[in-house]
Amino acid sequence: MRRDRRDGQGDESALVAAYVDGVAELSPEDRRAVEAGLARDPAARADHAAVRGLIDRLRALPPEPEGGEPDWSAMERSIRSAVGSSVPRPWWRRWTWLAPTTTLVTALAVLLVVMWSHRAPVAEAPRPVIPSHGLASQRAPQVPPEAAGDAATGTGVVSLWLDGAEVDVDVSAPAARALLGEPGDDEAVDETVDEAAAEAADDAPGSGEADDDAGLLPAADLAWVDGLDDAALARAERWLAAEGAPRKKG
Amino acid sequence: MESFAAGLPLLERPSPVTAADPDLELAERFRDGDRAAFDVLVRRHQKGMWRLVRRYVKSDADAADITQLAFVRAFRGLTGFRGTATVRSWLYRIAINCALSWLRDHRREQPAEIDEESLIDDNPAPAQLSAGDDRAQLRRAIAQLPPKQKLVLELRVFDDLSFREVAVLADCSENTAKVNFHYAVKRLRDILGAEHAS
Repeated sequence: MRRDRRDGQGDESALVAAYVDGVAELSPEDRRAVEAGLARDPAARADHAAVRGLIDRLRALPPEPEGGEPDWSAMERSIRSAVGSSVPRPWWRRWTWLAPTTTLVTALAVLLVVMWSHRAPVAEAPRPVIPSHGLASQRAPQVPPEAAGDAATGTGVVSLWLDGAEVDVDVSAPAARALLGEPGDDEAVDETVDEAAAEAADDAPGSGEADDDAGLLPAADLAWVDGLDDAALARAERWLAAEGAPRKKG
Repeated sequence: MESFAAGLPLLERPSPVTAADPDLELAERFRDGDRAAFDVLVRRHQKGMWRLVRRYVKSDADAADITQLAFVRAFRGLTGFRGTATVRSWLYRIAINCALSWLRDHRREQPAEIDEESLIDDNPAPAQLSAGDDRAQLRRAIAQLPPKQKLVLELRVFDDLSFREVAVLADCSENTAKVNFHYAVKRLRDILGAEHAS
């Protein structure tokens, strides 16, 4: 009954007609409340009887309008021809393929991104650049791009960055081609390195076993030594004798 | 309590309460592509829908047209039926909407309401006269009800809908539908009593 009052419709007496016409549709508490009201109030019982009589009369009314009903078979045929023979599908059913397709495409895209991101960090380590013939200058002159050789064809010079300095490499040499990625030339690189080391050893003053430590790239342009005076040479010899004497191997 | 309920028997008729919607299976079959399920729904409900619509419009033919239109709309929308109400109340709601829409479109074309009792046989037998008087009196009283009470009463009594279905069609709560029904009956009694007294 609280629900009735909340609806602004009154008390249990407002459900008498519903009780009479459809007691099974009342909730148990509504039914109990109506029956309690009828039990204690004689006027409510009289009202109940009058309601029942009126509802009986209403239900006895013939359907309105009396007669004049259409031909139901004709209406059926008319509806059938109007709606057609195929069952319509809701719009979202026409797009059911979209969900799996989108999922598949998204999964593929994610997979590609993941594969790419795993591959990117494997940066190629800088390879040593070996001069093709003899020694490479520490400070090679800048080579304009148009003058740079074509590594693919194996001709000309390519500028490479090595230990903080730009170095020109003759790409026509087999070792250079190997460095630039052509397979099968690793032995040529080793040979070139050995040759360079041997040439450096031969060209250096006082060459011999003691000069093995000079390394692959002996100092170049030692002409300034010729410009030293006797006093400077004497000081150098004293320093060498005292501290910088070359160590003899084995 | 029990003795009271036993002393004043309630109306003996099958309750329109539907524990399970008998049309729901048809709706599901239709959703699955069974076109014939819709024909069954048409056969089941065309008469009730026509009568419902006929109470809104004054022409049998117009009522038939509106009923057909309502079924066409139902055909297009049945696949989206969610099952929150019964299929019947859903169909009736479409029919009422179609009827109201038709009335809006044809407001100026509506003929003046004809008293149907005037079309009855000019010289009825005394028994017929009495029955006809009673029916006419009841119908006049119903026509005087406020729109909401009239709708609830007609849906309940003439269309034999459950209060739950009535509530769906009258766009109110089930309890409000029950209360409206009570006040409709009460007002009818008042109108009929006043007529009788006069």
